Amino acid sequence: MKTASTKRKKDSNTIKEDNNPKVYTPPLHSERGTWGEVAFILPVLCVILVAGYKLVANETEMLLRAQELNLWLPTVTYWNQLAQYPGAVVSWIACYLTQYFYYPWLGVSILCGLWFIVCLLIIWAYKLRRGWMLLSVLVPLALLGAVTQTGYWIYYQKLQGHMLVPTVGVLAAVLALCVHRLLRKWWLQLPWLIVWTALGYAWFGAWGLGGTALICADFCLNAIKQGLTPTSGKPRPAKRWSTAIGVVCALLGVALIYIVPQLFYSHCYQMTEHDFIYRAALPSFRYSKNVFTQYYWPYYGIMAAFVLCAVISIGQDWLNKQKNAAIIAGAVSLVWTCIGIVGVSEVWYRDVNFHRELAMNHAIEDLDWERVLRIAREGKGEVKPTRMMVMFRNLALFRLGRAGDEMCSYPEGAEKQNAPWIVRMTQVGGKLVYYHWGKANFCYRWCMEDGVEFGWKAETLKFMARTSLLNHEWEAARKYLRMLGMTTFHHKWAERYEKMLDRKDGLDLTKAEASIRAQKPLLTPTEQREFLPIMHLMTYPDRLDGDSGLIELYLINTFAHGGGLDPVFQEASLVFSLQLKDIPTFWPHFEQYARLHPGQRMPMMYQQAAYLFGTLEPQRVDISHMPFDQSVPATYQHFMEFNNQCGAMNEEQKAEAFRPMFGDTYYYYYFLVRNQKTN
Amino acid sequence: MHNIFHQIKHVLYVAVISQLILACSVSVPDSYTDSSELPAIYPDYVGVTVPLNIAPLHFHIDADAAGYVTRLTAGEQSWTTADRNVCPDINDWRELTQAADSITVEVFTKADDQWTRHRPFAIYVSKDSIDPYISYRLISPSYVTYEDLTLNQRNLETYDETLIYGNMINSNEADGQCINCHHTQMGNPQRAQFHVRQYLGGTVISYDGLIRKVDLKTAETLSAGVYPAWHPTKPWIVYSTNLTSQTFHTRDVDKIEVQDAKSNLIFYDIEANTVTPVTADSTELECFPAWAPDGKYLYYVSAHWECMDSLPQELELIRYPHDVQYNLYRMPFDATTRSFGKRELIYDAAARNRSVTLPRISPDGRYLMLTEGQSGVFHIWHSNAELMLIELAKVSPVEPSERIVYSYDDLRGMRSEIMSEAALNVMGDSLRQARADKSPLPAGVRLIAELNSPSVDSYHSWSHDGNWVVFSTRRVDDNFTRPFIAHHDGQGHFSKPFELPQDDPQYHRYFMRSYNIPEFMLGPVTITPQEYAEVIKQPATKAILK
Repeated sequence: MKTASTKRKKDSNTIKEDNNPKVYTPPLHSERGTWGEVAFILPVLCVILVAGYKLVANETEMLLRAQELNLWLPTVTYWNQLAQYPGAVVSWIACYLTQYFYYPWLGVSILCGLWFIVCLLIIWAYKLRRGWMLLSVLVPLALLGAVTQTGYWIYYQKLQGHMLVPTVGVLAAVLALCVHRLLRKWWLQLPWLIVWTALGYAWFGAWGLGGTALICADFCLNAIKQGLTPTSGKPRPAKRWSTAIGVVCALLGVALIYIVPQLFYSHCYQMTEHDFIYRAALPSFRYSKNVFTQYYWPYYGIMAAFVLCAVISIGQDWLNKQKNAAIIAGAVSLVWTCIGIVGVSEVWYRDVNFHRELAMNHAIEDLDWERVLRIAREGKGEVKPTRMMVMFRNLALFRLGRAGDEMCSYPEGAEKQNAPWIVRMTQVGGKLVYYHWGKANFCYRWCMEDGVEFGWKAETLKFMARTSLLNHEWEAARKYLRMLGMTTFHHKWAERYEKMLDRKDGLDLTKAEASIRAQKPLLTPTEQREFLPIMHLMTYPDRLDGDSGLIELYLINTFAHGGGLDPVFQEASLVFSLQLKDIPTFWPHFEQYARLHPGQRMPMMYQQAAYLFGTLEPQRVDISHMPFDQSVPATYQHFMEFNNQCGAMNEEQKAEAFRPMFGDTYYYYYFLVRNQKTN
Repeated sequence: MHNIFHQIKHVLYVAVISQLILACSVSVPDSYTDSSELPAIYPDYVGVTVPLNIAPLHFHIDADAAGYVTRLTAGEQSWTTADRNVCPDINDWRELTQAADSITVEVFTKADDQWTRHRPFAIYVSKDSIDPYISYRLISPSYVTYEDLTLNQRNLETYDETLIYGNMINSNEADGQCINCHHTQMGNPQRAQFHVRQYLGGTVISYDGLIRKVDLKTAETLSAGVYPAWHPTKPWIVYSTNLTSQTFHTRDVDKIEVQDAKSNLIFYDIEANTVTPVTADSTELECFPAWAPDGKYLYYVSAHWECMDSLPQELELIRYPHDVQYNLYRMPFDATTRSFGKRELIYDAAARNRSVTLPRISPDGRYLMLTEGQSGVFHIWHSNAELMLIELAKVSPVEPSERIVYSYDDLRGMRSEIMSEAALNVMGDSLRQARADKSPLPAGVRLIAELNSPSVDSYHSWSHDGNWVVFSTRRVDDNFTRPFIAHHDGQGHFSKPFELPQDDPQYHRYFMRSYNIPEFMLGPVTITPQEYAEVIKQPATKAILK
């Protein structure tokens, strides 16, 4: 293996032979890397593979959701939309790659591949040797942090392809640097600097400017290196001249970073606010008027990693001459890598409820209602659920026909989503909830609002297609299905639903049920499972209304106050009237339920509610002749006695004391589950 | 190395030349069977009439097939393609449109090694050229939120679309800006106005090169100016002022209802920067003004509304939206005194259980086109909205019919509030319809069957010579508004309308925005978005109440 000193000698010779004034540029690696050299890349690969493994192992649900909340279409229209803003190419590529999280392992493999390429390019561009190579992994670690810190931003990011934009952007920036390195001559590098800044900004936004910054830094580094290089072998004026050119090029690059976005603003991009021009294609962590700066740490990390690599590239030769150079290199790199790993660990968003919400959402999409309940049970006694989780669970119970018995058997809560802004159900799982409760128009509405504000997503189009089918808006459904049909992974989903356009009667409740009775079903079993309950829940008259963005309250009020003779709708009204805790609203639904289910067992929660309300307001309904299960009055009696014993406790203390014995009763829900602030 | 490059170059030449030969040698199949079926194409250009100067009508063949050949023939000219997307370039298209009065389109598809020729159809070419530009707003049909909104202008002779102004240039995450109602004086792009709402709000008026931003809200008007109508020749604009709200249908596919709780008309003098109230009747909801081309009449629509119940007006409007029905009125205008005379009812739509909006008079003053639906004024959200034509010489002012009053309290107290509301609406509908059945369409008024579709057909604009109309319709997918253009024969009849042509024929299928308020222009707006942006950043000049 050649040592650094021999290499420097060779460089000096090269300079000596060339009398033309030029910027000093280190030669390309002419020496072949030995197996020993290559072996130092293995730790880099290992770190990336471990990062990939951790990503798949811990964030599968998040990655799956990321691709659902993404859309890439191979159409001119799609491209035109992106091309209105600087950084269209980076978004286009990132959206394309995000699709591959449809299979999380595949998407992560691609991501790891890109990270490895970034490392190799950094190693090459900064000529990191042996132990110093490990430093290159700091950039992918920062990029990993940018992915894993996402959390609820997954619903709120407006930058299309936001999860992979940093990776693609960094790759582009490093490639720009590598091209600059390959060109070697300043009179080639200078045009490249100009061309790259213009193209890079248009294609990659701020990441393109980042590439220019790397090139500028490289000009500066070389100027510094010139200063550090012994003068022997090179005429002093020539050296000064090449240093000056390097500095001038670097200053020109800085000027370009300032000027190019201004020029694009005044002559090209007509939809970009002036303050935004230097932040184009960067994720924005603003919500309303608040900026959450903590989310920028991974991005600072990316910058810091490049600075460190650059510093090492200058000092590497000197460091390698020191005693125990290899150990120093290994130790320093290892320490920095550990710092990087700790940093990633710090920013990694590990909120239990966030991940459970994702998992429950996924289970509902699979119509696996038992899985929803399993996930709901996982939280018992540990972390209080969010209202979103409670709504998912209540929906699952209703669809399984067990709401009347079990609606109070699961943990209640109104835990605020772990985000520094108010997370709204409308952006998280509200559309799913509306869809399954038969509020097709409101589901569609929030899809449209979301699509407008945060960009179109596969998930949004799927809801819009399905609600259009349910509303018999065939052409609208066809439009959304056609779009989904052009995606890489959702086309099969689209094909499945597109078939329904040939069986339109299947989406008419009366005809669909008649066909089932006649044993010539118009809907497949899966379609029946999905659509029939929703069609039952859509049997209500039209009116003008509004939800004010509060989904849970809207559902409670419209169902509890809604009328309808459909037995499924009617039971939903009863369930929601229990949640409303309004006695006059409860009784008509209870009576209707009893009429519609003659001779059947009355579910426990309905019995408890009837007994409670009949006892609290005996003048309203006489319950003395109602055939309650024995346990109903007994439990109530026990509850009241215990209440007398706990007389001195406040409500919060009572809620804790009563939970073990009465936590699964409606009595507990009515008296002690209060102030569940919904969002 | 040189040899390798030489060889690559050679291969490329061969490939390019053979491609060219192939392209030139597309011919219709020698043998085929004739089908009586028209080909399934998008957009539907079968039998449409187009202006001589329109951009090429590109279309896509929807039917899946193993092969496609399409031949366009006009007189001696013909053009053939083997692509599924039939996209003649502008030179070929011009040759075809200039060669004859119609272009015959033959579509051949191949299945099981057998070619079929679908029933040929014609595209008729009118010698009446069309105004070269239309302007419109591109907006996703959302309900409350908005993000990027643009006012655009499209060259109809090509596919070029440019921005007049886009809101994102002056918006950020915290402060958004809504823009709307781009409107010109008789299609003159040098005299235009549009509104900016919320952040940096105001009405932007460009008048012969001068741009200013004004605030039209005064102490005695309901709001700033909303729906504008330029006087045909003078620097005057009449606006409606509106207190508007939106509510959402729970089941109806129309999904949203945009209603005015109050509305009036104001007169704005651009040079004096003064606002004069025109109407102030709290029981009338005046809206959508439009000048007669001679400037002697101001047409507008208005709904009479008095609360019949104990509910507040806003709530009653929301609960019983079908009762809000707009009629067509006009007021004489004296340009010397700048005063309006007594209003006249021109078309009593409410008597027919209908509601009209958007009156627009043809440049020759003979015809008035409007949009009719069952109720309300914002028909772009009403799937029953249809275009209607009134031959003004055949109609005369009429007396308004009496409003049907029925007691809401009769049906109160049903099992649920929602059920009683639904029952009330059914009762109101049946009472109104019973009267409507006895009220045929007046002479000189007709629904334009040749333009209407089962979906929304709404906003319309006449070309400067009255030979063409452009209107918004949701006929393609029921949700997104597309501009359609139709030829007017000068006698109140229209040809089959055609969808605004696009370079990529399937463009609109994947386009998630609506074309809002398409209006003809005689040329492009030359003020750049950046210039508008700078004006918008400045404070608005307050209009003076006169």
